[in-house]
Amino acid sequence: MSPMKLCVPGERLCSTEDCIPGTGTYLRHGYIFASLAGYVLRKNEGEELPMISVVRETEAQLLPDVGAIVTCKVTSINPRFAKVHILYVGSTPLKDRFRGTIRKEDVRATEKDKVETYKSFRPGDIVLAKVISLGDVQSNYLLTTAENELGVVVAHSEAGVQMVPISWCEMQCPRTHAKEFRKVARVQPEYLQA
Amino acid sequence: MADCLKDKVGSVLLPGDIFSFESKEEKVICGPGLRRNGDEILVCKSGILRHKQPNMYWIDSQQKRYVPAKGESVIGIVTVKSGDVFKVDVGGSELASLSYLAFEGATKRNRPNVQVGDLVYAQFLIANKDMEPELVCMDSCGRANGMGVFGTGGLLFRVSLGLVRRLLAPQSELVKELDRAFPFEMVVGLNGRVWVKAQSTQHMLILASLLETCENMTAPQRQALFRKVAHSAP
Repeated sequence: MSPMKLCVPGERLCSTEDCIPGTGTYLRHGYIFASLAGYVLRKNEGEELPMISVVRETEAQLLPDVGAIVTCKVTSINPRFAKVHILYVGSTPLKDRFRGTIRKEDVRATEKDKVETYKSFRPGDIVLAKVISLGDVQSNYLLTTAENELGVVVAHSEAGVQMVPISWCEMQCPRTHAKEFRKVARVQPEYLQA
Repeated sequence: MADCLKDKVGSVLLPGDIFSFESKEEKVICGPGLRRNGDEILVCKSGILRHKQPNMYWIDSQQKRYVPAKGESVIGIVTVKSGDVFKVDVGGSELASLSYLAFEGATKRNRPNVQVGDLVYAQFLIANKDMEPELVCMDSCGRANGMGVFGTGGLLFRVSLGLVRRLLAPQSELVKELDRAFPFEMVVGLNGRVWVKAQSTQHMLILASLLETCENMTAPQRQALFRKVAHSAP
């Protein structure tokens, strides 16, 4: 491929007769303009006109979509919600960390008002969650763990050792034998590595 | 150094001492200051090893720095009044939050009369290392139960946590002996803060210095001191 051309928002790329507008572009007065700052990509579709799009990175970034299962790490907890950093979407790692929020009422499907965030998550836990909303401009992705397969997958005890799940709401440290409360995910047996 | 736990009851231990079980069937319950590490028991705090039948062991340690724990009643000083939440200083690493609805008979229209600088006697609802501690001034039924704002006049001072637990023990010797000296009113918080009020400022200062000094005295020394003070008090 020839070296990629850079463009800034508002730059006129070509006319509608030459290409079809793709992501990162918009149509005005019969011409295609860029709406993002980045690299111009021209893709040949086949019989139709080639598609022109502007991308920030040369590889396409996978964005979490509504209904996607994401893997995230808890950064802080609050009596009302838990803040997380989204690390993986499905099985693809993300280059940047997106921020997510798990509200208190989205932690469990049953007894939603009796949930205590401290007994479900702790900072540093790895959690499997599902995206329910992309959120507004300022707010983060809204996530939920209200299913059996969602919840805490990896957690470390106060002694620093990785804990073993013993039920859907408890995990035990193998060294100090202390039990701690978490909302544990029921991982399918085929995904567990011995 | 692996040794038997029972021999060391009553002796001073330092963090890092290790004990291993003499027989596998022996069941030991680790209290504060002790931690289980695989097959061994590790000491985490320096202090004296205590034992309670049948198999409970813990370390009795002296401490002045308070760490908030759920369910404990403490004396706090209101520092900030922002919106519907008061920020209260309890002597821990963070300011605790106290909602204005957490008082007996408080509603959105009927706000409690709490100002910045007031003393409150409250109980911890949430207290752990990951979240901001939260206080309430009522029990689970909604009754005040002695909690709330107090302290017009009086003197607030700090003592160590060990002395506070001795003052709060049922049938406390200290409190009975102090009572014989002169009448006073006292509020004791588990965060090491004590508030006293007596008939005159001199009495209050005497009480404060008595409590601060009598911690390391033996019982006879303490009784002699209190008797001397009671005689010379006006």
